[in-house]
Amino acid sequence: MEEDMREMSPEELGAVCSNLSKTCEKQMRQEEADLLGELSAYYRKQAPKQKTKKSKEKSESSFKVLAALIEQDLTQGYEKANKTIQDEHDRGAQRSLVWGEKATKFLKSLLTRYEKQGNALLENTSVYVCDICGFVYVGTEPPEVCPVCKVPSFKILPIRKEAP
Amino acid sequence: MHAVRNIRLCTKDCICLFVCPTGATDTENGQIDASKCLDGCRLCVHACPSHAIFLLPRAYATQQKKSGKTVDALRELAKSKARQEKLAQDLADTTDDPLVKQLATALVRSNRILQEDLHRESGFMLPQASITKDFLMEQLEKNTEDKSFPKEAVQRLLELL
Ligand code: SF4
Ligand code: SF4
Ligand SMILES: [Fe+2]
Repeated sequence: MEEDMREMSPEELGAVCSNLSKTCEKQMRQEEADLLGELSAYYRKQAPKQKTKKSKEKSESSFKVLAALIEQDLTQGYEKANKTIQDEHDRGAQRSLVWGEKATKFLKSLLTRYEKQGNALLENTSVYVCDICGFVYVGTEPPEVCPVCKVPSFKILPIRKEAP
Repeated sequence: MHAVRNIRLCTKDCICLFVCPTGATDTENGQIDASKCLDGCRLCVHACPSHAIFLLPRAYATQQKKSGKTVDALRELAKSKARQEKLAQDLADTTDDPLVKQLATALVRSNRILQEDLHRESGFMLPQASITKDFLMEQLEKNTEDKSFPKEAVQRLLELL
C-alpha cells in the first residue's frame, strides 16, 4: 500500500479523506467527520491554483480534454477494470464499477450535448449532482430516483449558479 | 448500541415517547438522547409506526479483504477521475462565465464522488479499519516539515478511531 499512496495527487488524497469523513457522518461521529474534513480541505489547498482568467476558447478546449478523458475511461478504464475483477467475486467492487460506468456515460452524453448547444443547454434551467454516485443532471427538477444508484431525489443536489 | 432517530422519516407520532423507559426519546432537538438510552433496548425501534428509529452500533465488523488486483484496478480509475476533478476545478476557478462555472463545478463534484466510491471499495470502507490508521500515520510522517499540515487533527483522529 505505501508505494502507491506516495504517488497520490492532492485530489486523490483529498478524496480518500472526504470519503472517510462522509462515513463518519453516517456513523454519527461528528468530531471525526470534521477532523477528516479539515484534512481533506488541506489537500484541496495543496493543489496548485490556476489564476489567469480563461477565454471562451480556452474553456472550450478544457471541456474537450475532459470529454477525451471520459471517453478513455469508457473505452479503456472501465473495460480493463471489469476484466481485472471478473474472477474476484467482489460484488462491492463490481457495484462501484457498474455505477461509475453508468454515471460516466451520462457525463459523456452531457458533454456531447454541451459541445453542440453551448450555454443554451444551461440557460433557464438547473444542474444537479447525485450526492451518492456522481450522476449529473441538467433540468428544472431532479429525477424522482437517481437513474444510476436509485437513491431518492432529496440526495440529488443542485449546483448553485453564481451571479455574473 | 443506542437508538437514533431519522428526522426525515419521523412523522411525530410520539409512540416512542410513550414506550421509552428512560425518557431518552423526548428531547428539544428532535434527536434521541444517547446518554439516556439503554444499550440494545429497542422498544422505540419496534414501536415507531414510521420506521424512523434505528440502533447505532458501537463496534463494526472487520472489513472484507480486497485483492491487490482489485485495489490496483479501482485506484487506477480513481486517478483518472482525480485528473478530471483537477481540470474541472481549474476551469471553475478561471472562467468568467457563470454557466461554464456551474457546469465545471458539477463536474468537480461528480468526479469527487466517483473517486470517493472507488476508494471506499478499494479498502477505505471503515474509518476504524487499520488501513485508515496506516494512511493517517503515513501522512503525518510525510508532512512533518509542512507547517500548514493539520497535525493536531490527524493525531486526534488516531486517538479517536
Ligand atoms: S414514534 Fe416514530 S414517528 Fe413517532 S415521534 Fe417517535 S420516531 Fe417519530
Ligand atoms: S432503545 Fe429503549 S431506552 Fe433507548 S431510546 Fe429507545 S426506548 Fe428509550
Ligand atoms: Fe445516484
